[in-house]
Amino acid sequence: MMTRRKTLQSLAAGFGATLGSSLFPGISNAASLKPGVSGGPKRVIFFMQNQGFEPGTCIPDGMRNSGSLAKAKLPEPIAALEPFKERLNIISGLHGIHTSPSHSAFFGALGGYRGSDGVPPSAATIDYELSKALPETLLPHLCIGMDSLENMKGKPTVANLSASGAGQPIFMHSNPNHLYQTLYGGISQGEIRKQHEARSGMLDRIGELAASKGGLLSEGDKRRYGEFVQGFDDMSGLRERLGKVSDHLRNFAPKVDARYQSPEFETDWHDTLLDLGISSLKSGITNVLTIGSGRGEIFGSWKGLGVEQQGHNLGHMTQKDNPIWIKIRQYNSRMLVKIMEELESVPEGSGTMMDNTLIVYTSNNADKQHTNGANWPVMLLGNCDGIFKSGCFTQLDGKRPINALYATILRSVGVSGDRFNMSDKMAKKFDSGSGPLKEILA
Amino acid sequence: MSAILRAVAFSLLATGVGSAERYVPGEPVKLGFKDFASGFLDYHCLECHDEATEKGDLSLEDLGPVDETNAALWKSIWAQVSLKEMPPKKKEQPEVIERLRFSDWIVGELERVMKDKGGFQAHLDPLKGNFLDHDLLFGPLPEGIELAPAASPKRIWRVTPQEHITRLNELINTEQSYDPNKPGVRTRGDAVPTNHGGELKLYFGADRIIKWQGGTVAYATSVKSVPVVLSSARKHGFENYPSFYTVNSAEATQILGKAEDILRYMAYGPLSIANPEQITDDPNSYEKVRPKGDLRGLPTALVYSTKVKRPLTPVYDLMKAPEVTEALLRGAVDDLFEALTFRPPTEKESEQYFLIVSESIEKVGKEDGVFIGLSAIFLDRDALFRPELGEGGKRGEDGRVMLQDWELGLAVNHALSYLKPDEELRRAIVAGRMRTREDVRREVTRMLEDESIRKPRVLRFFRDYFDHDLGGYICKDDKALAATGVSVRGNGHYRAMFDASASTDRLIELILEEDKEVLKELLTTQKVVATRGDSTYFGKLKTREEREMANAERKREEKKAKEKAAAELVTIKENLAELDAKIKAAKDGRTKKDLAREKKKLDGAKKRAENIVKKGTGRRGNASVQEAKLSGPKVFARVSHRSFGNGSMKPERILAEVPEGERLGILTHPSWLVSHSDAMDNHAILRGRWIWERLLGGGIPDVPITVDAMLPDEPNTTLRSRMRVTREKYCWTCHQKMDPLGLPFEMYNHAGLLRTTEHGKPVDTSGAIVDSGDPDLDGPVKNALDLIKKLSESERVEQVFVRHAFRYWMGRNETINDAPILQAAHRAYRESGGSMKALIASLVTSDAFLYRKVEN
Repeated sequence: MMTRRKTLQSLAAGFGATLGSSLFPGISNAASLKPGVSGGPKRVIFFMQNQGFEPGTCIPDGMRNSGSLAKAKLPEPIAALEPFKERLNIISGLHGIHTSPSHSAFFGALGGYRGSDGVPPSAATIDYELSKALPETLLPHLCIGMDSLENMKGKPTVANLSASGAGQPIFMHSNPNHLYQTLYGGISQGEIRKQHEARSGMLDRIGELAASKGGLLSEGDKRRYGEFVQGFDDMSGLRERLGKVSDHLRNFAPKVDARYQSPEFETDWHDTLLDLGISSLKSGITNVLTIGSGRGEIFGSWKGLGVEQQGHNLGHMTQKDNPIWIKIRQYNSRMLVKIMEELESVPEGSGTMMDNTLIVYTSNNADKQHTNGANWPVMLLGNCDGIFKSGCFTQLDGKRPINALYATILRSVGVSGDRFNMSDKMAKKFDSGSGPLKEILA
Repeated sequence: MSAILRAVAFSLLATGVGSAERYVPGEPVKLGFKDFASGFLDYHCLECHDEATEKGDLSLEDLGPVDETNAALWKSIWAQVSLKEMPPKKKEQPEVIERLRFSDWIVGELERVMKDKGGFQAHLDPLKGNFLDHDLLFGPLPEGIELAPAASPKRIWRVTPQEHITRLNELINTEQSYDPNKPGVRTRGDAVPTNHGGELKLYFGADRIIKWQGGTVAYATSVKSVPVVLSSARKHGFENYPSFYTVNSAEATQILGKAEDILRYMAYGPLSIANPEQITDDPNSYEKVRPKGDLRGLPTALVYSTKVKRPLTPVYDLMKAPEVTEALLRGAVDDLFEALTFRPPTEKESEQYFLIVSESIEKVGKEDGVFIGLSAIFLDRDALFRPELGEGGKRGEDGRVMLQDWELGLAVNHALSYLKPDEELRRAIVAGRMRTREDVRREVTRMLEDESIRKPRVLRFFRDYFDHDLGGYICKDDKALAATGVSVRGNGHYRAMFDASASTDRLIELILEEDKEVLKELLTTQKVVATRGDSTYFGKLKTREEREMANAERKREEKKAKEKAAAELVTIKENLAELDAKIKAAKDGRTKKDLAREKKKLDGAKKRAENIVKKGTGRRGNASVQEAKLSGPKVFARVSHRSFGNGSMKPERILAEVPEGERLGILTHPSWLVSHSDAMDNHAILRGRWIWERLLGGGIPDVPITVDAMLPDEPNTTLRSRMRVTREKYCWTCHQKMDPLGLPFEMYNHAGLLRTTEHGKPVDTSGAIVDSGDPDLDGPVKNALDLIKKLSESERVEQVFVRHAFRYWMGRNETINDAPILQAAHRAYRESGGSMKALIASLVTSDAFLYRKVEN
């Protein structure tokens, strides 16, 4: 039986995100919590840069063993994080051998299982599982994907990284105009407003049509068909609910400028997508954001940074000391800084939103494009209300899989379990331990 | 409870509600716990399961009426009693009717108490179909049982992911017409196959791409494709009963998004996804104007031919016209509605959608308004569910109504096809000639006889029945896979498995074309549809000694080759020196040129010889495997549109014979064997369970969640040895039936290669058929071939196959009321010499297919 919670959750996959309850707990708990109240809802952001994350581009020179970053100097590609390094934990030594990450593990990167081009997801991914566990929000899960301008225009939604279950991919949004319409159509003006209204009108009408065709059904069919009809209510409901909190959303909606309709480079859309992602966190629309830079594949383009080369060749280069990769990673780092600064600007509990946030920065390709996944470097930013260790470099022994990291994050939001998407049989081969990664917990 | 009390209780039970009474299957058991169920428990169960004895640590003495807290226990009792596992064979058995009634009572009670708690549907699961005793369906009916007229419940049936994507594909791609000279090539009406990675996707414009930049992954990224939206659990067994699925809000949202893309492609073709200059028959003309730089992975890397291949529909006409006229708009609405729902809209429906599109156009103009408005039709109930509600039919006195007109026509169409009804069937429906059994027989016979009408649903039945298409989804441990003898490079093994699924599909089709003793042929055929790589998969893993010998032989050959090359090198060098001198001495340019050409050749020969001397011949081959010699005429298998550049699946195959004495039928082909394996090894339990359920008609109760169903992890130990844990008394009741049926397949390793040794010792392939229900079948077997041969000759096995066909085409489990239909279907199959067509025609013209039960 689909519960309302499940229904809303399943709708997530439709938007690359889900609708939430009409009570907007996310909103009330997040952006508008009164100062002085401790804690707040946790939120998790996954930032997946494609083509691999070479450890040399993030581990300070000379640092071999776990230790504090206080006296270390961050490498050039992530130098923008220097002022934030007390929030940073650079982790080396997780592995993803079982995910077959060469040329991207696709869904396997966030799922912790074998993935490859054209291989459907074999289970739900960590971001979706977190969205289920975290307090309900209007759109519990939002995925945005950054790619070349052509790809984002030609294929504005693709599904490569997130999934709500086996064979159930979740689409990521790559056209900021479409995403804006979904999130802020109710407060939009002009053409976006018109489109929003046309779609709302159509949805209302087909919802009525669907409901009218539910007669004559047996009890069991009524229940199944009821879920179908309920889907229309939920879709319309999202618009209504977003409409109801339009005053609230107005405070967070990014300003639509020329970059939306007439981007010069792909990075214009990358930036606007990031703005939309951040705004959905700040406004409490969602608590889980997945950013796919390169959309989980082995291509991508960053001409706006002056990187003329694009696509596959970027993955054939060594990243350390490579001017091209320094630019891309610096761009990522600036984005991370922007997320942190924006979340810091919103009071929450006795601190700010950032205090309750964890950012997981890694690659869907482990450490490089052609890799067996023996090392899968990750940077964590934020301590999620003091749960995670920060200000340090953590060197692990290469014997625990990325699944262990995901299980640890799930624990941090209250989901018990020693493993994530890994059977005991697989664990015997691929995980030397069980339960959370103690090395990264405060 | 004492024996005396139990005897008293039983005598009350026997005189009150016992066996002598009339029993009509399907009628609710209007008896209570106190006046019926507790008596059954007292008499048949408590002797072993009272407080004092607690056999198996289970006491039923305090078990009360079914409620939420004891539902799991009652479900377990239901399974044990239905499967005749309890009471144990050596104890007195309940009368047939008593057992049936007790089983029905439990199901009725579980349905009642679980109604608001997710419901109770276990008995509706196809895996529980065999809980109904085979002999009640095919043997004489015990006295007292009165059958009710057969019918299926009225229902709506959600389309499957494959049906849905095939339907959408029809809107934007024109597949090849059926060519009798090239049977096997994917043609219009065949299901959209999964791609190279096993993903089901809809491709845009793939049939017009004539050039692209880059290779494998670059193509896959450049081409526009969208994954399937409707979900279904990919598991073993039948995956499409009407009661399984709905369309949730996530899926509805995605369908809407996809709908607009499809509509734009219907209107503009590749122009909706590419720039005008990319559409040319001369790729060089695009070369001159294309964006500079590396385009790999980008949509601009593609060149499309100018030949229009998509169907040009009224949506195209509408968008081509300068203005929206009512006629054009209504034409687009009605055509799209029929394309998506397979029937024309009613006047009311047509009007409703016309209004929706008109409103959208009014709000945002023609361009977006048409696409937003028409996308609504993609979410019409009948675009996603096929109703079988008996609308318009007359309810008979027995509470049944026969399907008719569009409902009946679409049901018959759906029995075979994924496309909308062909013209002839459509005419019959419209003309009121789809209302009788004879009407159905006429259409089904016609469709079955016409090869050009593709029948993907028949093939799907065999996929669901055999489960031979799952091998590519079994994630293999690299080391364990390497030990099987097959290549572990890249995704080669997984590709081979998706190829193997397509090959086995084609083999099934070839056997269906003959249509003689279909099941027996499938189980015992010596034929194989194979790719080149299959010579390894159908090969034999060499023993350690053979491998050592092969390696030694290879070394000897390499040494010889090196010596030969060294000798050649000496001669080549001498010749070269001579040639150099000649070149020097040559006077005229022509001679010089000729000599230079000769020198170039010799330089090449020198380089090759030097290479061999230095590195060897490079002829590695697979020293671990004795490859099968597969040869035969060329055939084709149905594969997806190009999905992965040069690494895409290819349709070319050969129809070969398997090495004699090594294989026997589909169950010994790698596609089936790997589908029934796990990451590390064979899965003898799964294989045994398949034989037990799909061939012998046995049932297996669910494993209680408290049981740790794991084999010990003991490297370098045989699976047979590790399976000793299933011999624990608690497990063995069920495993004694499955394990000996699966272990004979140990003659193959978990990639499907034949093997004679395991861990250096002769492999043990012995097994047995235990308690099959047919005493002639029971007994030991030497290996898988011996087992399959025995089973293929059994009438019971054939009947069980018919039961599965019934489930697939009716979309539900059989009941005793269906016994005459099953017997008639089996008779039709038998009397036609094992014809699948005869079996399908019998089922599709049966009451269970034609009639729906109407609630009062």
